[in-house]
Amino acid sequence: MQAAQSLPQRRPAPLSFPSLAMLASERTLIGAHIITALAALSIGILMGPFQTFRRSPAFMEALPDWKIPVFTYYYQALTIHGVINALFFTTFFIVGFSYFVTQRSLERPMYSRGLAWGAFGMMFVGLSLVLYAIASNQANVLYTFYPSLVAHPTFYIGLVLLVVGTWVVTANIFLTYAQWRADHPGERVPLAVFATLANYVMWCVATIGVAVEVLFMLLPLSLGWITHTDPQMARALFWFFGHPLVYFWLIPAYISWYTMLPRQTGSQLFSDPLARVAFLMLMIFSIPVGAHHLFSDPGVSAAMKGVHTILTFVVAVPSFLTAFNIGAVLERAGRSRGARGPLGWLVRQDWGNPVVAAQLAGMILFIAGGFSGLIHASLTLNIALHNTAWVPGHFHMTLAGAITLTYIAIAYWILPLIRGRALFSRPIALAQIYTWLVGMLIFGHGMGAAGILGIPRRADLAGSGYISPEAATWLNSAAIAGVILLISSVLLFINIIGTLFFSRAPVNEDGPITTGSSDGSPLWFERWGLWLGLMLFLALVAWGPLFAETLDLVNGFNVPGFRPESPVPLQ
Amino acid sequence: MHIDRLERYWIIAVTAMLGVFMAALFVSVVVFRVQLPSPVGRVDPRALAETEFATPGLSDLGAGRYDMHIVAKMWNFDLGQGKGEPAEVRLPRGAQVTFFVTSEDVTHGFFIEGHDANLMLLPGQIASTTVRFNRPGTYHIICHEYCGPAHANMVAAIIVE
Ligand code: HEM
Ligand SMILES: [Cu+2]
Repeated sequence: MQAAQSLPQRRPAPLSFPSLAMLASERTLIGAHIITALAALSIGILMGPFQTFRRSPAFMEALPDWKIPVFTYYYQALTIHGVINALFFTTFFIVGFSYFVTQRSLERPMYSRGLAWGAFGMMFVGLSLVLYAIASNQANVLYTFYPSLVAHPTFYIGLVLLVVGTWVVTANIFLTYAQWRADHPGERVPLAVFATLANYVMWCVATIGVAVEVLFMLLPLSLGWITHTDPQMARALFWFFGHPLVYFWLIPAYISWYTMLPRQTGSQLFSDPLARVAFLMLMIFSIPVGAHHLFSDPGVSAAMKGVHTILTFVVAVPSFLTAFNIGAVLERAGRSRGARGPLGWLVRQDWGNPVVAAQLAGMILFIAGGFSGLIHASLTLNIALHNTAWVPGHFHMTLAGAITLTYIAIAYWILPLIRGRALFSRPIALAQIYTWLVGMLIFGHGMGAAGILGIPRRADLAGSGYISPEAATWLNSAAIAGVILLISSVLLFINIIGTLFFSRAPVNEDGPITTGSSDGSPLWFERWGLWLGLMLFLALVAWGPLFAETLDLVNGFNVPGFRPESPVPLQ
Repeated sequence: MHIDRLERYWIIAVTAMLGVFMAALFVSVVVFRVQLPSPVGRVDPRALAETEFATPGLSDLGAGRYDMHIVAKMWNFDLGQGKGEPAEVRLPRGAQVTFFVTSEDVTHGFFIEGHDANLMLLPGQIASTTVRFNRPGTYHIICHEYCGPAHANMVAAIIVE
């Protein structure tokens, strides 16, 4: 266990956890979340390589009639890919991970197991409804479900259940924290829990936007209770939520980098207080930046776009803080492994340990993905890149790269704890990680280059007439990456199935949790009410005028709904 | 709260770098006049026939300037072309065109290859941007937001002569 600097006298914890196993209560709850997440991922992820094939001129020339298996309609597959990977895999995984981190760091059970299972039930029913809607071809609307496209009500109800489930999770985590706080006055909450709390505060503020959109606009439209909608308003509400959503995925990965990687590499966290500053900044500045997804929208003024751009640069700061802090962790790790010279530590890392290697590979992708994000966040460059293939190129290095690889690192130690057996195969895990790294680099580069040449995203390019030979080269390279990533995905699932059903060796890697916390950071960092107030204030300042210019009750809300298959309006 | 010396330098360097990025942006907006779409007005997508979008197409304002009205619909761009004719428009070299575009049904996109034109087309909203066509060639107008099964074939062309 990493020695925290100067712990105050602690009371005996209400619950003590075995280090190489899980309590029965943990195993069921956390197991249910993590395994649902990975099962969802197994469906969603497969669509990715298939999409690259449909988008590759060389592939479609060789096999002109090839269609994506099962989800034969390209945009149905793309809806599965976006909704299941980005919304359900992530959320189930994050919630399961949050329970593990909260219980073990605070050394106590969750406030209420009933609430935890209730939330799981809601989210699971949500997943089933959404899968039904998409699989039955009634929700081919992609994961952003922009109106005036309309999906079957079960699609929206499923999403509502997912979100309401996470609100219950938030309540449960905060109630657990309140109990801990009552037992530990004046103590700083462990960093991992601090970040978890920040993440759920942010999430609750963010989801207000999408909840209003779905409950008051889309679901009633889909049920036929109202007949018209306002696409610009819907997009504004969606992206109020959409940018914090990205940090909701990122923060658990940062929790692993900040609080687990030091243990896993035999190093030590460089600065606990600045880690907290980074999490607070992510939480607070995630809200007033969302309009950078609306740079090309006709109904949002250039002034509002400018304001959100400036704040977008501010929200890059915590990621640079993270780069320094984690860099220092890795430097110490590298030097203790015998690295020399100013940069030798970059190479002398534990590349042979899957749990470490997956995170390092994720960081490499994050550097490329992060800078590509700064580029298209610049509103003038965005004109060249908005909605081109560049954008999925970017977020497959961040979301599907850094974040997913870090979740995979977590899966490689948490699945063994859930199952009570060691990881099935370390060599397969390493092969999986490095094929993923190489695949995503080729994919990100190919998509980025195709995007610069004007190839759009979200398009079944087979048969479209606007692909230049130069762009074709890059789309073909993305399809080669698709093959590599398909192999990587299969390796991942071999290891998951193997660990769950065929592994015999005992668990050899513990859950890298740090209890207690150093004294360096001020206690007022935990004034969550204050932060919430600040966030709502910033939301008002940055979003109030935007909603005001978007809202028009007289001339707005005049757009009927459409099914994607038909230009005839629904009413 | 203690902040390590090196880390402080790092924070200053990073802030300075982001400042430079922001200055570059400022320059691109103020000096190079890169324009972002701004609200032009609303229309009723159910009654486009009663608006300026009743007859889409090019109108010559003289002196090399043009207005161009376009209606996006599932799954083509209406540039005023006749039935069965290809969706294309011919422009003389150097033409400066202000586009006014809207959607009749769902969300579409508007992207002109090789030029700074990138708009979301939302039913109910008029989107507008001005583009100068200096190089001869054929430039596709591509719908870049998913709008249904034939989305990837929703394309028109601008031919600069
Ligand atoms: C196995 C590797 C993967 C490959 C080859 C892949 C491939 C792709 C491709 C080609 C697209 C763009 C399709 C288009 O715009 O027409 C796409 C979109 C997307 N991918 Fe992936 N992907 C992979 C893994 C992932 C993972 C792990 C995640 C998230 C956890 C993810 C999330 C997304 C999202 C959110 C979109 C956007 C969907 C949309 O535009 O509606 N992908 N992917
Ligand atoms: Cu379209």
